[in-house]
Amino acid sequence: MDYFDINLNLSKEDEAIRMAAREFAQKVMRPVSRELDAMSAEEMVADGSPLWDFLKKAYELDFHKILLPEYYGGEGISPLQVHLVLEEFAWASFGLSVQLLVVCFPFYVACMVGDEELIETFVKPFCKCRDGSIRGCWAITEPDHGSDILAVGEECFESEKMRGNLQAILEGDEWVINGQKSAWVSGGTIATHALLFCQIDPSRGFAGNGVCIVPLDRKGVSKGKPLEKIGQRDLNQGELFFNNVRIPKTWMMANPDFYVPFLDMVLAAANLSMAALSTGLARAAFEEALAYSKQRIQGGRPLIEHYVMKQRIFELFARTESCRAISRAAINLNFNISPPHVEYSLWAKTQCTEMAFQNSHETIQIWGGNGLTKEYIVEKLFRDARATLIEDGNNETLARHGGHILAETYPRKPDTF
Amino acid sequence: MAVFKDKNLMEELFGELWTKMINETEFGPRIKKDGVSILYIVNDPDVVMFVDGDGPLFGIEAEKKHPMVTMKMSGDTVHNFWLKKLNIPKALALRDIKAKGPVVKVLQLLPMLKPGQALYPGYCEKYNLPMD
Repeated sequence: MDYFDINLNLSKEDEAIRMAAREFAQKVMRPVSRELDAMSAEEMVADGSPLWDFLKKAYELDFHKILLPEYYGGEGISPLQVHLVLEEFAWASFGLSVQLLVVCFPFYVACMVGDEELIETFVKPFCKCRDGSIRGCWAITEPDHGSDILAVGEECFESEKMRGNLQAILEGDEWVINGQKSAWVSGGTIATHALLFCQIDPSRGFAGNGVCIVPLDRKGVSKGKPLEKIGQRDLNQGELFFNNVRIPKTWMMANPDFYVPFLDMVLAAANLSMAALSTGLARAAFEEALAYSKQRIQGGRPLIEHYVMKQRIFELFARTESCRAISRAAINLNFNISPPHVEYSLWAKTQCTEMAFQNSHETIQIWGGNGLTKEYIVEKLFRDARATLIEDGNNETLARHGGHILAETYPRKPDTF
Repeated sequence: MAVFKDKNLMEELFGELWTKMINETEFGPRIKKDGVSILYIVNDPDVVMFVDGDGPLFGIEAEKKHPMVTMKMSGDTVHNFWLKKLNIPKALALRDIKAKGPVVKVLQLLPMLKPGQALYPGYCEKYNLPMD
């Protein structure tokens, strides 16, 4: 379903990009996502799975590199255009949208470094890839560390007691990596490259971390089984193991000297994406509720003709528009300044995921028993939305982090971009 | 002590550097083709400089322009950047460099400015600036 955009200044290029994303979302993503959702996690990544054809089509259309600069072969689209694309994608499938974003994550961060070796070795080949064969993942959480890995500002964060499950030690001109990442690494078991967060100086707790890029065909890398879960089943997730894996010194992109603010920069970008995607999910739920309320007859008339239903439909609409307004505002700010004001990404992520979840919950309620069956998409929207409250930092942790930033920076001065 | 002893020195050096980059390196055609414009707001010394495909402007003339990307940093950070001695993600993370403008355009500037980084040591010698 189309929607009225309250931004009356969209350019023809903006509209064209949105329509291209919508066509792909409607014709390819949503049907594939429903197929994948019904498969086991292992079947989903097995040979012959529709996942591979989906990725190939996405890469052929350049949707894997929307965050990357044109100079390196990326799409170089504007912050608003990024939002337009992500909303359409997540309308079709939140999980596949995350998959398409994480494939570029190691390469996006390599662009921030701008080092010629990293660009030539990693970024340009990824941008040239048209068959989906180069795929990144974001490996940050660990079996023993979920949200506390984001607990910047808390005493524990810088405590030597905070021993990571993955360590990197410099030996000569190489980093030697040992340990593992959690089963929640998005795209983990199908990735060819990882944006890997690792502990370098355990005496500083997680403030002693670093960030590197690791091709996952290096000797000593192994992968766990794909994770079975209730939501975003069409998003592959799974563990990564590192046993004396060696990478050149130059592939360590961030070190403890500036790890904490660097983490914030990465988190800000990830949270903006989550907020934009939530708009698509909120809209999908709203549209399902509206369509059903016009079709379903109860008490001798369509649901929508019942007084209370009009109010409930309006609330779904209001949350969708709020999601769009908040996430676009945050993207417009933080994809236009460097470094970002992280609290605005956290605001957008926490609020938009909550509203998308409320929409998916309310839509099931409006659909009644039909909303609980596997026959319709609304139960999938609900399961997918539930995962977003935890994904990329659970909302409570993110709110705490936001409060920490506010305590230190509020009010920011107008010229502090 | 700051690398650039005063505003005049910085304006003179960068006036020459930007002009040479635009006229004699691939930076010129590239900045024109991409329609890129950059405003530098520098402190210590306080210098405002603007550059686009038409060349550099300084001071009040620069301030009147509407750039695609605005960069804020100290004179010493400018110097280290052009000497390729700056860790860019670290400088951004620690707010030694602040940028306004689409992030993809900011990221694109790093490779675009490389021809200038190759020329810069020559200007350091000419103007007797430290390179250590």
